[in-house]
Amino acid sequence: MRTHNIRTVCLIVSMVFYLLIGAAVFAALESERESSRKKAVEQKLKEMKEKFGFTDSDFTQIETVALRSEPHRAGRQWKFAGAFYFAITVITTIGYGHTAPCTDAGKAFCMFYAILGIPLTLVMFQSVGERINTCVRFVFSRVKHRLGLQKTDVSMCNMVLVGLLSCACTLCIGAAAFSHFEGWSFFNAYYYCFITLTTIGFGDFVALQEKDALQKRYPYVLFCFTYILVGLTVIGAFLNLIVLRFLAISIEEDVSSENQSSEPKDTRDGPESEAQTQNLQCKEDTLKLLCSCLCCDADYYSPAHFDPDEMGGHCNPVFYNSISYRVDQLHIVPSTPQEKVIHLTLR
Amino acid sequence: MKRQNARTLALIVSILTYLVVGAAVFETLESKQEKSHKRRLDARKYELMRKLNLTKENFEELEYVVLQLKPHKAGVQWKFAGSFYFAITVITTIGYGHAAPSTDSGKVFCMFYALLGIPLTLVMFQSLGERINTFVRYLLHQTKKCLGMRRTEVSMANMVTVGFFSCLSTLCIGAILFSQSEGWSFLHAFYYCFITLTTIGFGDYVALQKDDALQNDPRYVAFCFVYILMGLTVIGAFLNLVVLRFLTMNMEDERRDAKQKALVTINKPRAEVARLLPLSTTTTPVAETKSKELKGVYTEVLHFQTICSCLWYRSKEKLQSSSSMIPELAISDPYLQTDSHYDEPGTTGCVCSPRQCTNISSITTGFLSPFRVFKRRSSV
Repeated sequence: MRTHNIRTVCLIVSMVFYLLIGAAVFAALESERESSRKKAVEQKLKEMKEKFGFTDSDFTQIETVALRSEPHRAGRQWKFAGAFYFAITVITTIGYGHTAPCTDAGKAFCMFYAILGIPLTLVMFQSVGERINTCVRFVFSRVKHRLGLQKTDVSMCNMVLVGLLSCACTLCIGAAAFSHFEGWSFFNAYYYCFITLTTIGFGDFVALQEKDALQKRYPYVLFCFTYILVGLTVIGAFLNLIVLRFLAISIEEDVSSENQSSEPKDTRDGPESEAQTQNLQCKEDTLKLLCSCLCCDADYYSPAHFDPDEMGGHCNPVFYNSISYRVDQLHIVPSTPQEKVIHLTLR
Repeated sequence: MKRQNARTLALIVSILTYLVVGAAVFETLESKQEKSHKRRLDARKYELMRKLNLTKENFEELEYVVLQLKPHKAGVQWKFAGSFYFAITVITTIGYGHAAPSTDSGKVFCMFYALLGIPLTLVMFQSLGERINTFVRYLLHQTKKCLGMRRTEVSMANMVTVGFFSCLSTLCIGAILFSQSEGWSFLHAFYYCFITLTTIGFGDYVALQKDDALQNDPRYVAFCFVYILMGLTVIGAFLNLVVLRFLTMNMEDERRDAKQKALVTINKPRAEVARLLPLSTTTTPVAETKSKELKGVYTEVLHFQTICSCLWYRSKEKLQSSSSMIPELAISDPYLQTDSHYDEPGTTGCVCSPRQCTNISSITTGFLSPFRVFKRRSSV
């Protein structure tokens, strides 16, 4: 338990530091540009006021109209294509904000839609991501086999490398496509793809907003939706490979510590023959095997080595198996013939 | 079809259906309003143009200036407070967009910052959420004990109820406070809290944008940051409780399948069994066939046990049938002397439903009494 608490405190502290450092760097990078831009725009506004001769109150009215017209400028946002785009941004939590529901009913529906949609989407992406990882592992081991390599096991390093490359490829392909279709620079298109696929979704760059694309360019619309969903799957697969184990780490350690604490009860009483001790040990191991939170083989595609030690189930906290079991009580009685039966049949 | 593949396909189909249904509903709710809104705005625009004697190009120029001025009107966005706010929206993936880096170096740093920050934040929120769940479980347990209830175990339903109500109260508290500070209606403030804490973050409503709050009101600024981070923790705890197990389903199934496959193909059990049989020290043909059968039983047992997790219950039947293959051992327990018949894998069947599993809390058979069952910590 203590390790959990220490780990949690460390994570909180590191996150706070990370935020502070980030804030400082962003301030350094953007603050100057911001103040100079502000001055420039205000200057321009002053000039225009003088040129056209309108008062401040007039300007307030113009401002209101201009701000409210902003989403309309990009075309009809709430026809089916636009609504589908919006629905994607809700359940994937990208949330550009290029349009948002105006009506109260729309807002309320949006909330209910998100409550069910977001967990469903999370589970879907992780599920597909895991399938992709499995497929890649399989293909990789086949390739290694073909190349005549000695060890055809696919290590974690291999998988991470493939994952990284596929993420980078996805971003680059998207950047190339969007810079072509939207007229952005490659860098801005790459930035847009990154911000979209990490689901941050600022909304400073949004696809399908130029030249009424949502209504007129259906192939491009289809491409955008497909790109976002497939890209999120690729990122999800990478997260499934690397991050998911850390999200479940506390649960695993809980289970393993329970297992370990239940061991000392076993060999308490009186003089026991060696065979009985051995039986007890084996029985214990068997029981641990049956508690399916046990297996710590890092690479389960190689034939598992089921020797007693490994079956003994010292849970490696990083690799986990099941998260829903716990051995509650463990009473082991000195051996009887029945236990020998169990021993033989289960090993 | 493998279970994992079926599950994945079903999920994909359901998401696509969900998107289509959502799009249809949003279109129904918003499309008409959008049209009338646009018409009204255009009318207003033409009115202003006539009044102020502006051409279309002039007006568009003005619009452009207005849009450029928009972030600045909300206050200085990139001093330390504003940058901290921005950093929060990046690593939590809320991403309002009320301020976004305009310099190229800012964009590059933003990407690297997100690359490390987002996984760190995910892990942190889940870790903290798990601690909170453990603590709540402990509190509930103590409360149940104090209230003198018979069963002091904390069930999943208890935890889900507590989690749900804490999420709801977090949203309501935020809604009340933001509606007061920002001048929004309660519904709009609730909507803002919801969109923020689910990390969607449209940016149609953003806190700290009125009256230069980022510079002038440090207490309110601190409150906002604390609220966002704590609210995300509460939601994270709820997700940790309810959703996290589903994220690992495919992986668990895959491991189980691999284990089964490995068990069927490895040779070790044969040797182990031969070694342990009391009468034979060398492998004789008889012992070999016996060990083969035993291995078959063994894999059957494990097959059952790994598929259906509440399995001791089933496996004892297997053990009964296997015991008759070992005549050398003195078996005194009459329970074991029942006639065995080798069951096909499907017959005893794994019809373990989660409800069944949680109800099986003890196994009291003749020779299995020393063992208690493995209680499921929480049912799926």
